[in-house]
Amino acid sequence: MAATEGGEKEAQSDKNGATLATLMRAALALPVLALPVRAQAAEVGEIGFALLGYKERGLMKISEPLMWGKAQIGDNWTVSASALVDIVTGASPELVSNLSGSPMRTVTGASISDRRTAGDLKVTRRFGPLTLGASRAVSNEEDYRSRAFGLDATYELEGKLTTFAAGYGKSNDRVGSADNPDLDERRDTKEYLLGITQVLSPTALVQSSLQWSRGKGYYNDPYKRTLTFYPDAELPILYDDTRPSGRDTLAWLTRFRHHDPGRGTLQADYRYYHDDWGISAHTLEVAYQWDFAEAWSVRPALRYYTQSAADFYGQVVPRPPPETLSSDQRLAAFGGVSPSVRLTWRLDTITVEGTAGYYYNAANLRPGGGTEGFVPLRAYYGLVTIVKSF
Amino acid sequence: MRAVLAVLAVVVLSGCASVAPWQRGYLARPDMGLDPAAPARALDKTYASKEAAAGGGAVGGGGCGCN
Repeated sequence: MAATEGGEKEAQSDKNGATLATLMRAALALPVLALPVRAQAAEVGEIGFALLGYKERGLMKISEPLMWGKAQIGDNWTVSASALVDIVTGASPELVSNLSGSPMRTVTGASISDRRTAGDLKVTRRFGPLTLGASRAVSNEEDYRSRAFGLDATYELEGKLTTFAAGYGKSNDRVGSADNPDLDERRDTKEYLLGITQVLSPTALVQSSLQWSRGKGYYNDPYKRTLTFYPDAELPILYDDTRPSGRDTLAWLTRFRHHDPGRGTLQADYRYYHDDWGISAHTLEVAYQWDFAEAWSVRPALRYYTQSAADFYGQVVPRPPPETLSSDQRLAAFGGVSPSVRLTWRLDTITVEGTAGYYYNAANLRPGGGTEGFVPLRAYYGLVTIVKSF
Repeated sequence: MRAVLAVLAVVVLSGCASVAPWQRGYLARPDMGLDPAAPARALDKTYASKEAAAGGGAVGGGGCGCN
């Protein structure tokens, strides 16, 4: 009897072993084992350092070292933070004058030099399908100070295919001027966000979000002026940049990602922007990250941007002078292209990236033509990034 | 606004395909990420300092004197 029981146990054991082997074979056949090693690694954080260099032909130069870190604490908490220094040097356009007959932008004054230090911190806590986040951002310059916070929530539906997002942010800024120590004005902005992320397939996802903001306060650029001569008047008018005391904006951003296993990933972002200054803008960026070797990938990208002019944009001061007028070229109608290429190298938990890009803005890059007299902007930038995952 | 609603409807309705947990590996790849990392945000800020449009996708980032 005991021998019979032993035989049954052995038979049962063999049966269990066969079942286990079948399950193991089935598991081995699952696509998860075809996944890249990075996706399986239990990474709980990263720390990174980057250096951004940007140089305009004939105008300003920006150097920006930055570092950031992100860590998961326990199962539910995540903390991320970043800090940077912006060092801006060079010449800045300040005056638009029609002294030569037609309006021309001129660079006046000594070479500018400014330094911005900024940092942010974000903490998120997961409660099952719900994730809540709180963030704080500060930015300090000689003539500008910003204090902002944000609250956001995401909620995943069952199956984790659809995620809804909502957010609220507030920014309290102070505007000053290096030329006018008495200038100390407020600019306050409230921001709202609604979004949805949808997994379309095991290799594709899309996200669409609406962000709108309401701002009030001081929007003038204290360094920009318009000088207009009139044929029938002895004296010209020098008009300080004067903008509306509020700005409401809407930005609708849609991002799409599609991975082609063994080849690369298509990344496409489109943003529609509109504000109550009369500006409408479109931004489209398309990139393809091609994994051409096990540890290497290259990412060519092309960004296109176009905007209409602000209602109060003008290069001469009409008579009588209006309540609002700005000759700041950034409020003109123009278009821009920015091709770039990024090379990525990965070694275990270290990732090194180098990006080189060109940025060109011109009136004729806007469909139908932009503002006459727009001075083209040509700039180059480079970005080097080192990231360590742990 | 109708265009926005149409796109959101397409996004929601197209999410009918089921994706099992073990099929999510590709979605977790860094190049499939939707939230820009700090260097990409810095580059966006540089663009925003030369253009009138800014923002999208996040709140609470704060302003700067560049624009």
